[in-house]
Amino acid sequence: MSKRKITIALAGNANVGKSVIFNHLTGLHQHIGNWPGKTVERAEGTLHFRSYTIDIIDLPGIYSLSTYSLEEMISRKYIVVERPDLVINVVDASVLERNLFFTLQLIELGTPMVIALNQLDMAKKKGIKIDVEKLEKLLGVPVVPTVAIKGIGIFQLLEKAIEIIEKGQETRRIEVRYGEEVEERIAKLARMIEGIQFWYPPRYAAIKLLEGDEEIERTINRINPQITYTAKKLANELENVYGHFCATIITSERYGIAGCIAREVQKLVPPIKPTKEERLHALTTHKILGYPIMAFLLLLMFYSIFTFGNYTSELLRNFFYNWEFLFADFFGIGVVGKLVWGGIIEGIISGITIAIPYIIPFYFILYFLEDSGYLSRIAFLMDNAMHKIGLHGKAFIPLLLGYGCNVPACLGCRIMETERERLLAAFVTTLVPCAARTVIIFGLVGQFMGIQWALMLYIFNLVVIFVLGRLAFKILPGEPTALIMEMSDYRLPHLKTVVKQTWSRLAEFIKIAFPLIIVGSFVIKLTEVLGLLEPIAASFSFITVMWLGLPAVTGITLIFGVLRKELTLIMLAILLGTTNFAQVLTPIQMIVFTIVIMFYIPCIATIAALVKEFGLKKALLMTVFEIAFAIILGGVTLRVLTLII
Amino acid sequence: MGKQEKIEKSDMPLTALREGEIGIVTSIKSGHGRGYGRGIGFERRLMDMGLTPGTEVVVVKSALFHGPIEVSVRGSRLALGRGIAERIFVVKKSV
Repeated sequence: MSKRKITIALAGNANVGKSVIFNHLTGLHQHIGNWPGKTVERAEGTLHFRSYTIDIIDLPGIYSLSTYSLEEMISRKYIVVERPDLVINVVDASVLERNLFFTLQLIELGTPMVIALNQLDMAKKKGIKIDVEKLEKLLGVPVVPTVAIKGIGIFQLLEKAIEIIEKGQETRRIEVRYGEEVEERIAKLARMIEGIQFWYPPRYAAIKLLEGDEEIERTINRINPQITYTAKKLANELENVYGHFCATIITSERYGIAGCIAREVQKLVPPIKPTKEERLHALTTHKILGYPIMAFLLLLMFYSIFTFGNYTSELLRNFFYNWEFLFADFFGIGVVGKLVWGGIIEGIISGITIAIPYIIPFYFILYFLEDSGYLSRIAFLMDNAMHKIGLHGKAFIPLLLGYGCNVPACLGCRIMETERERLLAAFVTTLVPCAARTVIIFGLVGQFMGIQWALMLYIFNLVVIFVLGRLAFKILPGEPTALIMEMSDYRLPHLKTVVKQTWSRLAEFIKIAFPLIIVGSFVIKLTEVLGLLEPIAASFSFITVMWLGLPAVTGITLIFGVLRKELTLIMLAILLGTTNFAQVLTPIQMIVFTIVIMFYIPCIATIAALVKEFGLKKALLMTVFEIAFAIILGGVTLRVLTLII
Repeated sequence: MGKQEKIEKSDMPLTALREGEIGIVTSIKSGHGRGYGRGIGFERRLMDMGLTPGTEVVVVKSALFHGPIEVSVRGSRLALGRGIAERIFVVKKSV
């Protein structure tokens, strides 16, 4: 007997434990990609339960089903147009009222649903006791209590979901009723909409028209402009009665209903002492102490990543290079052997020796911090500083990522709300010295000139980021948006979820970066084998030698740097025939070289990430700008330093 | 629509409240009537997060140097950028 296929969507606010439930349900059978044509993540997984093959879609975490953000639009469209067999609404029991506001909108949409009343343990800690049966009765929707992090209630949730799909949902669910003035006009509009063919239920469409929902307005206007005209007139009447925007009136009333239900079903016995989580929150967002704590945690994070990374990377590299002689036996050391080893195999090795030692711990710690709730505190602390370059606190997170690797950092800019901010954040991020550039700063300037010079370069880098960020912010059209962010309670992350998030990010990184690193390695190796490297480098010696005052061979290293920045140092050692750079480079040359490396181009993998997120044109524009900027800055630095020293 | 919400004399921006004080939202001033990002009306976003007229807001913390403020609304904890908080008008609730 073949299994029946059904689809279940998970919907709810951000930080309610949706992804933990998703992981419990789907286990290893999941796939994380993007919604078609959008930079919003789409997580999908399958599950076999009884005689069903269940497709589970994890919708983005949202606060409303309006169309003000891409995430909301995608979620609503998915529920209405794709029509999953059931929606599981994950509700945070510790913030019931705000969560019910979303639940009411799902109910209005008329989709079959079950509520997972999650994080009951956290609610209990805060002294909130919820009468589940009463909530179920008031809403007319089944409610299953869960503590997802411990796996409690997941099975019951699934059973309930299947039961509803099999038997159909009872229709006695609550009808969200507004004030009389509003209801009157909803009824009038709904009657008009009933006459036309439309995706949405008539009453829902009527409410949304009054709220001024652009998407629904546009669609209905195409079918019957008379309806939208009437809607505007009715909305105006309401605005005159209440003295508020119509959207405000409806949102207020909906929240009023959510509040009523919440008060009705929950008993509040606030604990006398603030909870551990609250004290931790107060400490980590403390006006003064918050900053040193953040600095300490971040330094600790980078220190452990680099220590772990350097050690593991070395280990892996030795392991792989031990096989080189075997390879040479097989392919010989002729042109073919060189191309295959130096071009393809070395490309793969370098990819692995970066990805595993650095990217994995980096993502792991990052997701751990995110799921625990600390990242939102960092955003709160850094909001002020980020505003100086036209961004808000959340942008500090991709910036931070950039110090590890620019590729995930560029992808991480998705957390910004508008396209403009995404672009601005990505631009600033590519200027951040990643792990590879750190190797050069410390390996060249730090080692041969002293650590204080290396740190000065970092400060210089921050100044440049600030100045360029500010300039870009002034040039790019549009208004800055500001921080509106929930800081949900601290909690211990669910380890399996963190591991899976790390894994899916790693897979994404490999998919974007590996092909280009390998092709790039091959092309450069081919150029080398054909003896073209030196002529090419010589052709821009007027930049490297005349303008930047560097040895001519640095031209070659800069070409290699496009692949991976740390290659520049390795190549420099090979070409100059020594690792004691003090013998062959003057201190000024070291600084100029390092500054150029720091800014001259996002590496090939970063360019790929930029193309993916912003399109070819913008990615190339940024690349060209950064090359020109680095060359100019390098030359100016040379002249200024020669003057003072 | 394009019309501004009325702002009464006794109203003050949320930023005028001190830490620990409670305000009741009266209105949210929209952003100069110009397009805000890609139609992301921040006032609607605020309302979706629970800051509707008549709602009690507790100012929990205000970061130094005109930084963001932390408020407590309907049992949730929100961080609001200073620019946004200045556009939320409240009347102070006397305790």
